[in-house]
Amino acid sequence: MRLTILFAVLLCLHSADGADVTYNQLAHAAEHPAEWLTYWGDYHATRFRNLKQIDDHNVAQLRLAWLFQTGASGSSETVPLVANGVMYFTTPESGIDAVDARSGRQLWHYQYRIPKEAKYCCGNLNRGLAILGRRLYMLTPDTRLLAIDTRNGSLLWNVEVAPSTGGAYGGTEAPLIVKDKVVLGTAAGDYGIRGFVDAYDAETGKRVWRFWTIPAPGEPGNESWGGDSWKHGGGATWMTGTYDPALNLIYWGIGNPAPDLYGAIRPGDNLYSDSVVALDADTGKLKWYFQFTPHDVYDYDATETPMLLDLPWHGKTRRLLLQANRNGFFYLLDRETGKFLQAKAFVKQTWAKGIDSKGRPIRVDNLDPTSKGTVVCPQCAGGTNWMAPSYSPLTRLFYFNVREGCDIFFAKPPVYKEGTSYWSTSIRAAAMEHQPGRVTAMDPLTGETKWKFPLYSSPWAGTLATSGNLVFAGDEDGYLMALQADTGKLLWRVNTGSRLVTSPITYELDGKQYITMPSGNVVLTFSLP
Amino acid sequence: MRNATLILFFLTLAAMVRLNAEDLATGEAVFNSNCAICHGSEGTGGRGPNLHGPLRNGDQDSDIEKVIRNGLPGTGMPKFDLEKDELHALVEYIQSLRHASPSGPHPQGDKVAGKRLYDSSGCSRCHEIDNQGGTLGPSLTRVGASRSYEYLKTSIVDPSADIPDDYQSVKIVTRDGKHYQGVWVNEDSFTIQIRLPDESFASFDKQGLQEEVHEKKSLMPAYHFSDTDLKNLLSYLSSLTGDTQTASDARREEKAR
Repeated sequence: MRLTILFAVLLCLHSADGADVTYNQLAHAAEHPAEWLTYWGDYHATRFRNLKQIDDHNVAQLRLAWLFQTGASGSSETVPLVANGVMYFTTPESGIDAVDARSGRQLWHYQYRIPKEAKYCCGNLNRGLAILGRRLYMLTPDTRLLAIDTRNGSLLWNVEVAPSTGGAYGGTEAPLIVKDKVVLGTAAGDYGIRGFVDAYDAETGKRVWRFWTIPAPGEPGNESWGGDSWKHGGGATWMTGTYDPALNLIYWGIGNPAPDLYGAIRPGDNLYSDSVVALDADTGKLKWYFQFTPHDVYDYDATETPMLLDLPWHGKTRRLLLQANRNGFFYLLDRETGKFLQAKAFVKQTWAKGIDSKGRPIRVDNLDPTSKGTVVCPQCAGGTNWMAPSYSPLTRLFYFNVREGCDIFFAKPPVYKEGTSYWSTSIRAAAMEHQPGRVTAMDPLTGETKWKFPLYSSPWAGTLATSGNLVFAGDEDGYLMALQADTGKLLWRVNTGSRLVTSPITYELDGKQYITMPSGNVVLTFSLP
Repeated sequence: MRNATLILFFLTLAAMVRLNAEDLATGEAVFNSNCAICHGSEGTGGRGPNLHGPLRNGDQDSDIEKVIRNGLPGTGMPKFDLEKDELHALVEYIQSLRHASPSGPHPQGDKVAGKRLYDSSGCSRCHEIDNQGGTLGPSLTRVGASRSYEYLKTSIVDPSADIPDDYQSVKIVTRDGKHYQGVWVNEDSFTIQIRLPDESFASFDKQGLQEEVHEKKSLMPAYHFSDTDLKNLLSYLSSLTGDTQTASDARREEKAR
């Protein structure tokens, strides 16, 4: 009898395990290569997987295992999640598809309909989901947070993150699960919003805390905004942050100040724009911040991945935060304290004479954008941008896509009007010539480039590193490619037919390793024959 | 009281002037960042037509607004999605440019003679008008609407002065020593596609190339016509505005002589 009860209990536990994704799994996601459980693949955003069935010897045989046509229009920026053999991904039109990760066969579809009267800022795009328990979480373009049942795609609740009446806010990113909370931010810095990072109760959808990225009068940092400029200071939080469970700190990159290229309207450093902030995961309180580009006039958001690595620094293992910043410099910070350790330029830059010992850029004089145009490097979209980098502990190299070239930056005094763009000119920056790019492998401790693989156009896709001595990367012309991780040699490529604007993932099921890359309105998955 | 009214009047006037100055500054910035690349920083034309003098699609604010909002298909003029205020400011600025230094009409040539010269000089081997002619060079069907007079003139006497991105000349040498010359069609990190002089396409894997040179030289030879011939040819080309009537009218006129 007692044995039967025990068996029944075990069965229940087993079935619960079978369908649920626990916080513990998320915290150890990197150690479970069968799945891809968070936007970055793990809390530290290393985007490395210890999977080597596909390696530098056999990758040339990689071929299509399946593809899934979402039927949605727009370019897919989603990073799929894989849990319990099911792949979940969003479409640019706010749909979610659940498919069998082995065959690509659809299991269910959920379609969010944006209310007709909703006004929001940033078009229809979505970068992905978060998963906890039996729930998926999606941030919608009209800035609402949805909880969806992983088993059948039913909507469980739908809460407001920011009002969709004025047309200023917008939601694009994949949320981040931290313990029992859903953490997320907002797009639309260039619509003159006041940015924030929010945490919601994963069970109820009730907001637990909010961190405003622009301090109000009386709060430290508000003095870095002249007059009332803080009110429309931007500081959007449009990319998913990272989390260190050991320190219980959330790291979030903050976007540019508004208006973007016209600084005279907002004298001061404009905190916490272009910064990374470390927030207490339970309260949202600011532990520290580091501002990469004080008083930015080039739209150099700091929303690039804040990767967390423990590496030897001057003979001692140190908890580091790494960021290849849009402003053209690669930064190392101590992620416990926010202390600046090092910055090295990784692309041609003309706006700073250097970075001082505190991490503050030494600006080149008289280089602000004007109505006639000012040539500045890197380009307005940055030396890199939101596309994910990766790091391999085997090669000890940091792999990221670089955007080369300069722009002519234009500016004029803008006027704030709710629901319209609050940037300095309609085309803010124009390229003088074709702008190429490259995949770069860099020693993160020295900033030294180990190899680079040239790309015809400035890319918008991220990278993935595996223990098969491979780096997968995508380019603007639609190529998904595999490069040898230690040499940069091209080993495999396929043209997916649409520009790539997200990052590849990998997972292993039934002893078979897969590589998945969304392209256009198709999700493609590759494996060995 | 009278003084107060007067002060109010001047304050209002000052505010209006200021508003206007701000609008012009906005318009100038929008023009520089969007329009100057084709129409020149003074609006006197470049790749795009001269904005001084009469405009083909109308001179009224509303006409100019319409062209900016909707673009002109087939001419290279794209549509611009501007905020309302910026669009108004831009139109105001374009009008101010046009009134600041109105340029005189271009010299009038004999467009029928120009067409004869066009035909006898072999232009149609590489250019097409109303689907008649070659495809190695840009289509001229709407060239009168899409290019300024000065730009067309330079394109004839010095074709390499400015080459549109999609007509760059490319020289390719393969690893086995074969040479190819053609017009750039498409390119990515791994391959390049060109149009050969016989109008067929060729595609190359970059790994198999010894040399890939994007030449700054146009495949079109420079033509040295007499002033009268050049004037006639320019009159003919300027009359090609995509309105199919124009080209066939010229043909009909020629036949009638």
